[in-house]
Amino acid sequence: MRETPAQHPIALLATLVVLLAVPLVVRDEYFLHLFIVSGIFVIVAISLDLMVGYVGQLSLAHAAFFALGAYTSALLFVRFKWSMWVGIPAAGLVTALAAFLLGLVILRTRGHRFIIITVAFSEIMKLAATNWVDVTRGFMGLPGLQIPTLTIPGIGAIDIASKERFYYVVLIAAVLTFLACRALVRSRIGRAFVLVRENEVLAESLGISAFRYCMIAFVIGAGLAGAAGSLYAHYVGFVSPDLFNFSWVTVMLIMVILGGKGTLVGPALGAVIFTFLPELLREALQWRMIIFGTILIVATLFMPRGIIFPLLEHLVPSRWRTRHARAA
Amino acid sequence: MSVQLAILGQHLLNGVLVGCAYALIAMGLTMIFGVMNIANFAHGEFYMLGGFLAFYLVSLVGLNYFVALPTAVALVVLLAVLLQHSIFRRLRDAPTMTTTLVTIGLSILLEHVALLLWGPQPQSVPTPFPPSPINLGGIYTTPLYLFSMAVTAALIVAGHLVIRRTRMGKAMRATFQNKEASALVGIRIDRIYMLTFVFGAALAAAAGAVLGGFIPVEPTMGGVVTLKAFVVVILGGMGSFFGAIVGGLLLGLAEALGAGYLSSGWKDAIGFFAVILVLLFRPEGLFRRA
Repeated sequence: MRETPAQHPIALLATLVVLLAVPLVVRDEYFLHLFIVSGIFVIVAISLDLMVGYVGQLSLAHAAFFALGAYTSALLFVRFKWSMWVGIPAAGLVTALAAFLLGLVILRTRGHRFIIITVAFSEIMKLAATNWVDVTRGFMGLPGLQIPTLTIPGIGAIDIASKERFYYVVLIAAVLTFLACRALVRSRIGRAFVLVRENEVLAESLGISAFRYCMIAFVIGAGLAGAAGSLYAHYVGFVSPDLFNFSWVTVMLIMVILGGKGTLVGPALGAVIFTFLPELLREALQWRMIIFGTILIVATLFMPRGIIFPLLEHLVPSRWRTRHARAA
Repeated sequence: MSVQLAILGQHLLNGVLVGCAYALIAMGLTMIFGVMNIANFAHGEFYMLGGFLAFYLVSLVGLNYFVALPTAVALVVLLAVLLQHSIFRRLRDAPTMTTTLVTIGLSILLEHVALLLWGPQPQSVPTPFPPSPINLGGIYTTPLYLFSMAVTAALIVAGHLVIRRTRMGKAMRATFQNKEASALVGIRIDRIYMLTFVFGAALAAAAGAVLGGFIPVEPTMGGVVTLKAFVVVILGGMGSFFGAIVGGLLLGLAEALGAGYLSSGWKDAIGFFAVILVLLFRPEGLFRRA
C-alpha cells in the first residue's frame, strides 16, 4: 500500500523538530496546556487505534482504562506517597492486568456483545469509583497529586513541574509510544492484527489465533491508556469519577475515526486537532457536544478513512509520495 | 401482615414499575436489533425525549395531561421517521462498528439538543392525580403509580399482541428470521425496517412520558437507560421479544431489592455484573433454549 507523505521519515523528523520548538515559540500558558493535553491524548488515541484500527474491534472500555490508570496512580500517591515515576508503570501494569482478565471473558465474543460488555465494564468501574468511598472518596475525588522532580544520576534533580518542562516529558512519552506501536504494527504481530481484522476465518485457518492477537492488542492498548491516565492525573493534580463519563470515550473515538483508523499517525493528529478544536469552540460551549455528535455520525457514514489522509492525498501531488511496505 | 413482608412488598411494587419501563424500552431495542441488526445506542434518547416532551407539553404549553402523553409519543414517532429516512436507512447491512459509532453519535447529539432546549436541571411532568397515598394492606402507593403501572402494563401487552397477532408483526418476525426469503414472498423490507424502528421508538417514548411523573426527567437519563436496556436484551437473548419483557421485569425487581437490602449506590451494578455472567455461561440468553 502506498505510504502517505505524513508517514515519510523526513516528514516525521520535521514534525519532531517543530514539536521540540513548541515551548520556545508558544509563550502562552494556556496554549502550552493544550499542547500537553494533546500529547497525553496522542498516547490514548494511538493505543485505541491498536484495537479499533488494527484488530478491528470497537472497544468502549478505553476511557475506563484511562481512568483506571489515573485512579491507580492517584491512590498510590495519596495513600503511599509513591511518585509519578512509580505511578506510571504501576498504572500501566494494573490496567493491562485488568484488560487481560476482562479479555479472558469478552474476547471470545465479537460484534455487538463485545461492544456492550465493554460498556458494562466501564459502568462497573464508574460505580466503583463513585461508591467505594473509603478508598476513592467517591464524588469528592482524590486531589493533591503532584509532578515529581526528575533525578538523573550524574546530573541531579531537575524540576519538571513548569509547563515548559512538563511538555517535554509528555512529548517524549508520546514519541516513544508512537515508535513502539509503529514497530509493533509493522512486525509479524501487526500483520496478524490486520489479518484478524480483514478475515478472521482465514486467520484461524492459517493457525493465527484471533483470540490471542485480539488479547495482545487489547492488553497493550489498555496498558498504554492506563499509563497516559497516570500522566494526566499527575498533570491535572486531581481525579474524580467524571473521568469515567461516556463522553471521554466518544472524544477518543472521534480522534481515531476522523484521524483515520489503522494508521497510528492519523489518530495522533486527530488527538491534537480534537484537543484544540473544542477549546476554539469555547464560546459555543453548549454546542460543543452537538457538533461532536454530528461529526461522529457524518464521519462514520461518509468518511471511512478519516479526514487527514484523503485531504493530504488531495493536496499533495502523487509523485511526492513514496512507496513503502507497511502493515496497514 | 408482618412489617418485613410489607417492606418486601413495597420494594417489589417499586421494582415492577421500573421493570415495566425497562421492558418497554428493551422490547423496541431487541426488535431493532433482531430485524435491523443494529445495536441502537440512541434508543434511550427516545425515552428521554418522551419524558421531556410530556413535561414541555404539560408545563410550558399547558396541554391536558392525558392529551400531552400521546402527543409526546407522536412527536417522537415523527422524529423516528425522520431519523430512519436520514440516517438509519444508510445503516442497512453496514458493519457493526459503523452502526454502533453512528448511533453513539446520535445519542450524544440528541442528549445535548435536549440540554440546549430544556437545560440540565431535572424536571418532572405535572400530573392531575392527587398525591394522597393509597394503603394496600400495609403497602403504600399513589393513584399516579397505579395509573402508570396500568399504562405500561397495557403497552407491554399491546406490543406483544402487535408482534404476535397482527400481519405487521408477522412480517416483522419473518424479516427477523430470514430477510431474503421475506423479500421473496413479497414483504417490503424497507417498510418493515421503518415500522420496527418507529414502533420501538414509540414504546420507549411512552415509557418516558409515563415515568416522567415520578422520576426526574433530565438530558442524561437516556444514556443510562440505553445501557440498562442492553442488559435486559442480553439477559433475555438478543432479538427475543418475550425475553425482553421477562428480562425487563427481572432487572427492575432485582434493582429494587438490591437498592432496598444492599446499597442504593451499587444497585446499577447488578445488571452489568449479570450481563458479564450471562455472556460467560449462557450467551444465548436466560430464556432461550440453546
